[in-house]
Amino acid sequence: MSFEKFKDRNVGEDGYYMVDIEDYPETGWGKFKQVASRSLKGELFVGLWVVLREMFKFDIHTVQYPKEKLPIGPRYRAVHKMLRLFESGTERCIGCGLCEKICISDCIRMDTKYDENSRKEVTEYSINLGRCIFCGYCAEVCPELAIVHGGRYENASEQRAHFVEFEDMLTPIDALKAGQQEEYPGFGAIIPGSDKSVKKTPLAY
Amino acid sequence: MDTAYFIETIIKIVVLLLVFSALAGFGTYFERKVLAFMQRRLGPMHVGPYGLLQIAADGIKLFTKEDIVPQNVVGPIFKIAPVITAATAFMAAAAIPFMPSFTIFGYEVHPIISDINVGILYILGVMAIGLYGPLLGGMASANKWSLISAARAASVFISYEVVSGLSLLAPIMMVGSLSLIDFNNYQTGGVGSWMIWSQPVAFILFLIAAFAETGRTPFHLIANDHEIIDGFGTEYSGMRWGLFFIGEYANMFFISFVIALIFLGGFGDGSVGGALALLGKVSFIFFFFLWTRAAWPDVRPDQLMWLCWKVLMPIAVINIVITGIVIMF
Amino acid sequence: MANEITITIDGKEIETQEGEFILNAARANDIFIPAICYLTRCSPTLACRICLVEADGKQVYACNAKTKSGMNITTTTENIERERRAIMEVYDVNHPLQCGVCDQSGECELQNYTLEMGVDSQNYTIADVDRPSVDWGHIHYDPGLCIVCERCVTACKDMIGDNSLKTVPRGAGAIDGAFKESMPKDAYAMWNKLNKSVIGLTSGEEMLDCTSCGECAAVCPVGALVDTDYIYTSNAWEHKQVPATCGHCSAGCQISYDTKHTSIDNPEEKIYRVSNEWNYVSLCGAGRYGFDYQNSDVTKDETAFGAALDAFKKADTINFTSTITNEEALILQKMKDKFGYRLVNKDAQDFKTFLRDYSVVSRSSIYGSDLEKVHNTDFVVSVGSALKSDNPNARYAFNNAVQMKGAGLYFHPVADPVVDGMSKNVVSINHAPLQEEAVLYLLLDLFGNKDLLPTKIIDYLATFHSMKTVTVTETIKEKVVTQVTKKVVNKETGEEEEVTSDVTKMVPKKVSKEVEVDDNRLLEIVGAPDKFEETLQKLLKKKETFSLIVGPDLYTHPSSQNIARLVALIEKYSAFELVMIPTLTNTLGVGLICDLDDEAGEYAIGYNTQGDYVLSALGDGDLDMPAINQQEGTLTSINKRVNPTNVAVGYGGYVLNDIANALGLKAEYTIDYTEQLPTARGFKTRKFDDLPNHYTNAGEEVRGYLLGKMPVRMKKDEHVVAIDEDQALDGTLVYLANPVRQFTPFTNKAHQLISEGGLYMSESALSGSELQVGDEVSVKTEAGEVSVKVISDNKIDGEIAYLPTFDANINSEALFGGYRFTTASIEKV
Repeated sequence: MSFEKFKDRNVGEDGYYMVDIEDYPETGWGKFKQVASRSLKGELFVGLWVVLREMFKFDIHTVQYPKEKLPIGPRYRAVHKMLRLFESGTERCIGCGLCEKICISDCIRMDTKYDENSRKEVTEYSINLGRCIFCGYCAEVCPELAIVHGGRYENASEQRAHFVEFEDMLTPIDALKAGQQEEYPGFGAIIPGSDKSVKKTPLAY
Repeated sequence: MDTAYFIETIIKIVVLLLVFSALAGFGTYFERKVLAFMQRRLGPMHVGPYGLLQIAADGIKLFTKEDIVPQNVVGPIFKIAPVITAATAFMAAAAIPFMPSFTIFGYEVHPIISDINVGILYILGVMAIGLYGPLLGGMASANKWSLISAARAASVFISYEVVSGLSLLAPIMMVGSLSLIDFNNYQTGGVGSWMIWSQPVAFILFLIAAFAETGRTPFHLIANDHEIIDGFGTEYSGMRWGLFFIGEYANMFFISFVIALIFLGGFGDGSVGGALALLGKVSFIFFFFLWTRAAWPDVRPDQLMWLCWKVLMPIAVINIVITGIVIMF
Repeated sequence: MANEITITIDGKEIETQEGEFILNAARANDIFIPAICYLTRCSPTLACRICLVEADGKQVYACNAKTKSGMNITTTTENIERERRAIMEVYDVNHPLQCGVCDQSGECELQNYTLEMGVDSQNYTIADVDRPSVDWGHIHYDPGLCIVCERCVTACKDMIGDNSLKTVPRGAGAIDGAFKESMPKDAYAMWNKLNKSVIGLTSGEEMLDCTSCGECAAVCPVGALVDTDYIYTSNAWEHKQVPATCGHCSAGCQISYDTKHTSIDNPEEKIYRVSNEWNYVSLCGAGRYGFDYQNSDVTKDETAFGAALDAFKKADTINFTSTITNEEALILQKMKDKFGYRLVNKDAQDFKTFLRDYSVVSRSSIYGSDLEKVHNTDFVVSVGSALKSDNPNARYAFNNAVQMKGAGLYFHPVADPVVDGMSKNVVSINHAPLQEEAVLYLLLDLFGNKDLLPTKIIDYLATFHSMKTVTVTETIKEKVVTQVTKKVVNKETGEEEEVTSDVTKMVPKKVSKEVEVDDNRLLEIVGAPDKFEETLQKLLKKKETFSLIVGPDLYTHPSSQNIARLVALIEKYSAFELVMIPTLTNTLGVGLICDLDDEAGEYAIGYNTQGDYVLSALGDGDLDMPAINQQEGTLTSINKRVNPTNVAVGYGGYVLNDIANALGLKAEYTIDYTEQLPTARGFKTRKFDDLPNHYTNAGEEVRGYLLGKMPVRMKKDEHVVAIDEDQALDGTLVYLANPVRQFTPFTNKAHQLISEGGLYMSESALSGSELQVGDEVSVKTEAGEVSVKVISDNKIDGEIAYLPTFDANINSEALFGGYRFTTASIEKV
């Protein structure tokens, strides 16, 4: 449907037809005729035939959920992941606090300090997933593509403490070495072709 | 009364109770599976291979669940109601010949608990008492949904007893007996001698009435989940609710037997083939119950009354008159 | 004074003072002119050049161009916009893109102006040099982030007076010559300067050794200078800013407690830093770093509360200090009215007496000036105060006045290198203790209006003058006439003739001569340096406004009554405007609100001080009380202003109001008393919640309210007594004062300031004695004895050592008989 059509969809006539609904019978005889016609027309048997046919076709569409899962889209916003730098393996997070700031359900918190390498070190980071609404703002605002959304949507737990495990989110170092960390294409990722819109700074040396 | 007869009857009763209670369970399994397949689903799959142990799981659940008697119910009546439903269903089975008679260790067994000469009358009568289960249960529950359900149960049962009774009059006139054994013997001459051919109208009417009296789709309005929750069963839990359940499924089986015996030739000549044929017929009718549930919508209560009193009952009366005229000449 | 004039900025007519800087005039009238390096109250630095405006068709810098009547100013022209954009581009050259972790976290003026000027591309480039970040102790400097606006240098020199920072060479290569042609002129000039310098320490040492006020970090527009304690702990936007009044000294500076939850695991509010409106108020190290002195982890202990009530029923005296709010003082006064407690508070009592004695002469209930006025005077005199530790803001005012083309005199027995280092326009005179009266007589003599002064005083002052004959060696130029005989060829005759002519030459010649001069013996008494009078003449050139700051030494002086009268006479009969430094945070307020008693009774409640039953906000008493950063209330400052302060961190225990309520007074909250403060003493009936606490764009202080002047109902009496010249303290002297950044045990509770007190000795005194730093010594006076460690303090000079009051473990007050100086014997143990 084109955008124009979408906007005028109640005006045009094409593609629409009136459903043929008879008036309700008012006399007893009329009602009897309706019953008779409906009963004898075979509509009931059509219904029986359809379900029987489907039974024999045995074309089952059930996904047996815990054992089988449907693939989810790459832009799906489930439990966050904290990525590492591909080259060095260190955490990408620089502790800028923008995710903490932008979080509309106020569920992100971090503690930072000045570390021995004169860098800002994130000593503790927590996302209260019990409160998170998975809006994706944190991933969008992150300047380092450090916090992204993952595909793990099963986050029921019997303890609230389980909703804030940072270690669960961070890519394990061995997984990184095994090349299992993938760049995130969703919210906040670099738009393809954005290099073209960046002006170059003259660097003479 | 001799002791052997006494023991035989006791054994038959016990076997019947156990078999049909279990069948109620299997019935649910089949129902779920059949409905699922018809709707392109798998149905129960997790408990046991292909979900076969689902029945056991449900049984354990029903037996171990807390038996809740809500505060404002009329206690004794509330408690007795499910028993009435289950009991009447099994009582009706007393006059049904489930198999042809056979000989075991030289002892002739009649797989009927009591071949009384008013068999059909007895079955209809006892099934009519079954009305008290939903009616009392619904009225005693102190719940508006249950109360509506009780009212509907009363109207449906009373109405459709008329249809079922009148529709059976014609076959009874032809057979000249109320015993189901006699009915069976009347139709031993092969498929051509089945009552369904001489009384098709009566067959259809009785089938419709059977749906109504067992409360199955498309006449499921006594416990119509989407409007009155579980109707009279709303306040029940655990095994009390389970008794209602067993009653409903036992009723379905027994009515299937009755239909097969009256209209579809029963077990025929009493051979093994005949016995198997009877099971096949019963199974098909049971399957038909499920099939309609997958295919057809429910009707409204007023449509149901209208159908009963303005359509089915007149047709049944006309059918009797015509049958009478045909027999007379 | 300056005249009201009208000027036009961007078509808007505004009223301002003649000679005001264009930038300040614009700011006061909500007209935006970008400026980075300019600090209100300080001299223009002219580092950033971004405040370019066009005044009457000529480009000038708004921060140092003065307004003239009828001036027409345009804040932006095409050329100015080009300059500004180029300037911001230059600032962005090689500036690290680490805004994500930078501690300025968005409060960055570089960021703001870069966006304001719409810098979206970079045209300039230069090779960067290695600029590693350095730790200067309590301040951390990252030259990589520094834009060398020199605001820190300006603040340190013009406001604080430490002169600890300066620009040092960066060691960068030359700017590509091509840019000189292609760049706007001012931007190139700015870059040229910027590229040559970074900020360094004046001392040339590795660590910052100053009075540690942290003002340099506060004024830094970028994240180059950061408090070491704060670095990378929090983002600015996370803070809840609690507007408050500093509770450490009587300056009553407006501060903002920046609070946030303690950590992920601990949701309780914690103060992370103190920020200030650095354009209008400058903090000292205690105000900036001594913020976490709260009485924490206190719960309502009902047994202790019951015991406190019993103690109050038993007691006849309440001892307290002046580190309480006006409201608490009023509660104590009301309890006195109702139950007849004696209220004992030595420092407030002394100050109150001093004020009363002053009033008798001056006919004014309170001194006439304040520190705001001191900032704007051009000749300042300080008497009787260890200025930098008694009230750092008074010191800033003194320094600021001196730096802004003013001059000053500093009279104090303890030599102060910080004051000496301010400027060559400050003369500090280290008179002997007990000679403060002589100082005041000297001031009367030098500055008093002889036409108005009572004749008795004039006569008395005349007794110090005598004519004496001194031999003055003068260099005079003498005319010497010599006869010179030359051989000249006669043109007519062609013969050589001898011609004699007179040649006059001016020859310098040293002449000794006997001159009759006026000899002022007062100068000798106070120990003024040689040629003081000449120096003074130079200092007094073009000086129109005068301020006198007097301090706590005078209140406890044995002849404080006479001193108070002299001070009043100076204020009355000279151009001096007077400010007194109240001893502690709220000494002025307590003195005004409470009727104090001299002697304690038999059973005393101590509030933040000693007593038989002790209420303490320090957490060491029998019942806990909230510290000032946990209270709502008002504090009366040196500027005679009643300033509101707010709760920064929670407090879970009982407050004084709970005790008062249990004893029969009635008020739901302590601040219910704010509107009941005594109007007869100058307070106003204003509700706490109606008190403002901010500064306007024009720098006007909109905080609380000013105390009213009350009529004085005492008989006029201008009688003063003569000096006792023989009065002197012999032997080793000890002074009662605190090191910088310490005032009370409260400052010593803050984690950045915590230290152990001792006997503070100057480096010269230490080298002249056998004592070593760390030696345990016994200081013994007539009144008592304490055993302390020797500490070296390079912020004082001379022989006089001092003992602090901030360390609760050293009961130094017991050694002094009232006056802040005492003779003592110091022996090594």
